[in-house]
Amino acid sequence: MVFGIVVVNVLLAQTSFRITSAEQRLEELSQEHLELASEQASLSAPGRIAAWASRHGMRLPDDIRILHTSGGRQADPAGTDPSSANAAAGWSSP
Amino acid sequence: MNRPPATRLLALFAMMAFAFGAISVRLVVLQVGQARELKDRALDQRVRTTELPAQRGQILDRDGARLALSTPASDVYADPRLVLDPWASAIKLAPLLHVDAASLADSMSGDGSFVYLAREVSSSVAERIGELSLPGVGLLDTSRRSYPAGSVASQVLGFVGTDGVGLAGLEFGYQGVLAGTPGERTHELGPSGQTIVGGVDVEVPPIAGSSVVTTIDRDLQYQVQQALQDAVEAQHARGGTVIVMDPRTSQVLSMASYPSFDPNAFGDSPSGTYRNRAVTDAFEPGSTNKVITAAAAIQEKAVPLGLQLEVPWTMHIGDYVIHDSDPHAVMRMTLGDIVAESSNIGAVMVADRLGSAALATYLSRFGLGHATGIGFPGESNGIMLPLDQWNDTSLATMAYGQGIAATPLQMASVYATIANGGRWVQPSLVRGTIDPHGDFVPASTPQTRRVVSAATASMVTRMLSYAVEFGTGTNAQIPGYQVAGKTGTARIPLPDGSGYVEGQYIASFIGYLPAGDPKVVVAAILDRPSAGYGGLAAAPLFRRVALAAITRLGIAPAERVSLPPHAQPLG
Repeated sequence: MVFGIVVVNVLLAQTSFRITSAEQRLEELSQEHLELASEQASLSAPGRIAAWASRHGMRLPDDIRILHTSGGRQADPAGTDPSSANAAAGWSSP
Repeated sequence: MNRPPATRLLALFAMMAFAFGAISVRLVVLQVGQARELKDRALDQRVRTTELPAQRGQILDRDGARLALSTPASDVYADPRLVLDPWASAIKLAPLLHVDAASLADSMSGDGSFVYLAREVSSSVAERIGELSLPGVGLLDTSRRSYPAGSVASQVLGFVGTDGVGLAGLEFGYQGVLAGTPGERTHELGPSGQTIVGGVDVEVPPIAGSSVVTTIDRDLQYQVQQALQDAVEAQHARGGTVIVMDPRTSQVLSMASYPSFDPNAFGDSPSGTYRNRAVTDAFEPGSTNKVITAAAAIQEKAVPLGLQLEVPWTMHIGDYVIHDSDPHAVMRMTLGDIVAESSNIGAVMVADRLGSAALATYLSRFGLGHATGIGFPGESNGIMLPLDQWNDTSLATMAYGQGIAATPLQMASVYATIANGGRWVQPSLVRGTIDPHGDFVPASTPQTRRVVSAATASMVTRMLSYAVEFGTGTNAQIPGYQVAGKTGTARIPLPDGSGYVEGQYIASFIGYLPAGDPKVVVAAILDRPSAGYGGLAAAPLFRRVALAAITRLGIAPAERVSLPPHAQPLG
């Protein structure tokens, strides 16, 4: 009887230690998750990416071009000859 | 053997009995009479309750990108009474805290029992400080608010103080949502501060704050801020504001003011840069306000669309003389021409036919004179005199946007109303919140109201497209897209109200595209640019922002709208 009670108490104590340990691990992982989320947000910040791209010689386009895939037309940047631009881009207007 | 006298034994017995009696009485008093009180006092000495801070919610952009979040951090403190060698400790701490060793040593040499050495240091730094085991130096758990994208949307987001309370922007406006509810832990401690096993140990866990999901598009916001900064610097302007909105929902995709600031180090910037001027500051809108005059005139049929008014370049209103921007001979202009050429005199002639009451009604219906209710702290109502306080010149000046003040958001909302077929939708900056369980709770449905008919809105769009194709807004043209918009060049009132600043203007361009199926409204405003006019200074900024929106949002061209009837191309 006494031995049984002692065994149960030991098991309970062991389980309690495991729970405490798991809770601490959970807390640590939660903190790590937040720190990683912060790092991910910093790395994906547009300012950082733009600065990196600029250092590597990339820049935003000055203008846009709309390409119509079928039965449409192509709008070119102001001041461009549409026919030459199409040919240069390998596109043909129907 | 002598025996003690009986009297002495009796006396000794009596004394002992008295002593035992006294002790017994005292025991009864302590254990019965004062038991509860003493037990409580003892418990008070052993039990400590500490607050468990709640995790502050994040602020996200419309796609879930984190704009503000809290990470674990520590405050570093010292108890100068326990610091053995202030200089030795300071020299070890200085490189970790990036603080001058002399000031640290000075702090640790004071008379008090508690002094902060650094606030909100990162977990890694805190760990290294802990490893130093410096006597008298300790760490307190806290959190640090960080803004990973730096100055992106800083005036919208605001910032929090060192106590974790929002002080500006959405951080302030949504403090109750973001903050959560702190918990507490009550436990028994021994004399040396260790927890007593089996003693009182009750924990009420904190409830984390909800996250706020904004309508802001982070990447577009960045591009808008870059464009605005470049325009302000190129034009030597004092500042500027840009708003990008979806006209169908009036959700704000981007809202920027320059000069800006970095909320990670807000103390390094002047407090004036904290203001979200798009919402909190009103300006006289100038000619961009003519869109209301034109819409009201069309809706009320005050001016036949084909009617050509004879428009001089100056006009006397009471004791004042008003004029168009440039001298010209008397011109015959339709309503479409007046909008396209931004004629002040023409707008006044149209307003005369409309009448004060009708113009006041439409100004109010379009949202001028009262806050939009976007839910941002400190939103301005703008300034619009009640009709019964209008003077001889009010009708004339309000027709072309002077003598009335509106926020950039109110003006963007006016154009969004036209782009949305004449229905005003309350602007919004927040899509909803995400509660601690991860469930999205959408924001309340925005208010809507019909301001003008769809036919009227369509006609105004045709006039605004005409203004961009042949009028004052040609610098806003974008190849492949039909843009509808209006320039504004507004005089700036003197602070004492005695008149206007000479030779300096608020330049603006507000418009939307594609004109045939509007997907985005852009308001571009510059404060005192060197180029002066809205068509020269603000229209190129509009164009650059609109290009960014087209590529970012994937906006396709739409069918072109026709020019307004009887319009006389003047370009």
